Amino acid sequence: MLEVRNLSVRYGKHLALDDVSVTVNTGEMVAILGANGAGKSSLLNAIGRRVQAASGTLLYRGQELSQLPQHLLVASGIALVPEGRGIFPRLSVEENLTLGSLPARDKRNTGQRRELVHAIFPKLAERRHQIAGTMSGGEQQMVAIGRALMSDPDLLLLDEPSLGLAPIVTQEVFAALARIRGNGLTIMLVEQNARATLALADRAYLLEAGRVTGSGTASDLRNDPAVVNAFLGGSAA
Amino acid sequence: MTTLILGLVLGGTYALLALGLTIQYGIARIMNLAYGEITLAAAFVLVFLFQAAGISPLAAILLVGPLGYAIGWALYAVMMRPLVARSGGGSRLEVDSILATFGLLFVIQGLLLMVFGSNFTSIAYLDQGISVFGVTVALNRLLAFAVCVIAGGALTLAISRSRWGLVMRAVALTPSSAPLVGIDVNRVARQAFALGSALAAIGGTSVAMYQTFSATDGVVFTMKALVIVIMGGVGNVPGVLVAGFALGLVETFVATMIDPGLTLAATFAIFLGVLLWRPQGIFGRRA
Ligand SMILES: Nc1ncnc2c1ncn2[C@@H]1O[C@H](COP(=O)(O)OP(=O)(O)OP(=O)(O)O)[C@@H](O)[C@H]1O
Ligand SMILES: [Mg+2]
Repeated sequence: MLEVRNLSVRYGKHLALDDVSVTVNTGEMVAILGANGAGKSSLLNAIGRRVQAASGTLLYRGQELSQLPQHLLVASGIALVPEGRGIFPRLSVEENLTLGSLPARDKRNTGQRRELVHAIFPKLAERRHQIAGTMSGGEQQMVAIGRALMSDPDLLLLDEPSLGLAPIVTQEVFAALARIRGNGLTIMLVEQNARATLALADRAYLLEAGRVTGSGTASDLRNDPAVVNAFLGGSAA
Repeated sequence: MTTLILGLVLGGTYALLALGLTIQYGIARIMNLAYGEITLAAAFVLVFLFQAAGISPLAAILLVGPLGYAIGWALYAVMMRPLVARSGGGSRLEVDSILATFGLLFVIQGLLLMVFGSNFTSIAYLDQGISVFGVTVALNRLLAFAVCVIAGGALTLAISRSRWGLVMRAVALTPSSAPLVGIDVNRVARQAFALGSALAAIGGTSVAMYQTFSATDGVVFTMKALVIVIMGGVGNVPGVLVAGFALGLVETFVATMIDPGLTLAATFAIFLGVLLWRPQGIFGRRA
């Protein structure tokens, strides 16, 4: 579904991504694991068209995306939840969801989408009139993911959904992701929380200092001693 | 009572003018110092249409409003767009747009002086009085008031209730998130600038209906609109409307009770007071 080939991203002289190639197949959940500053966000933002790649190609269903303006991406079926969430903190939860539905490719079922989002995140229904910025971090993450779902995407890009969340809230968010995936969505997920991510994802890529240093199925990676040492804190999960 | 009604009429014009300016600044992020020049140009056009072509001012509004929109659109495309592109979303746009529109102010003013001369202008249109709550008010003022209330009210409702308004608010509040939901921020900014310019023009037609003006008055309208925007709280539509009416009332009160020469002084005294003590606006929330 998505094929990233030889992608490089530069910020001035700093090379944040160096010749990275990643593939995501339809229906898969693919994780990108890496430490702080490895270039995970750069990769996701380049696919999400928030950052212009210096070189490389982004093929999505055979369509070249690397020159597409950011605002047109969501209409082609890719929704990005960036690091920091990118919600509208001064608008209500409901208004955030409505904005998410504006680029929906099938406007007739906006009501259904809203019901689906409310079913996955009941809090968003309860708190629909609350100003999004006054919600807790976990709830704001739900707003961000819910809003992305409102556009009826085929591919969901998530940048560290567990960032800054308590373990129990992270569990809640990951449970929701499992459910979203059950609905047939393809997901590409960036995480530092390797244990929870490898428990959920099909495959993962390891990113270090802007390069892909490993990849494999989640179950292989869970048992790979190098990965266990680097990401899972020593003991096998 | 007379003061109150005349003040409300004046305030209606001010509120509409300030609404346009705050839309341009809040959404397109352009501080338009040539704003009052658009108002004035519209006033002159209305006078011209009335005197030379016999077109009634009410019909002229239907012409001048869209014309203001088109001119705003063109100004944005030709003049502002390169500045926006160069700033890359940074704060440089603010300084650049102030300098650019400051220049534009003198260009338009020069054109107005050339075409319409430097004399004071006004029209005699529906100036028979009618009685409102026992006060005799010229019909042209009531009409101008109605125009402002209808245009301003419709827009305020659209901004707070419609989907279009939601998109406008989203861009005004968090432009960086807007592309994530498929909003083309540049397009919205251009629309907002054009819309603000249409409001400036409609405000100008209401000025022409009941005031005397000259080609160099534009900056006064810009400053007043700016004062109101800051009093009401930048980006706060209800605050701006209330502040607009408040300024109209204060000016009328000062002019009738104290001295007509002091109105501008009173305006700026309020402005300074607000800047010093409530920089977030009288009705604004503390950031
Ligand atoms: N806008 C920018 N300007 C300059 N350098 C940047 C910019 N964004 C990222 N970088 C640099 O690029 C490198 C990769 O950053 P990136 O945000 O992609 O890492 P990350 O893997 O997402 O890290 P984290 O886990 O902390 O989110 C870092 O060294 C970072 O300092
Ligand atoms: Mg990151």
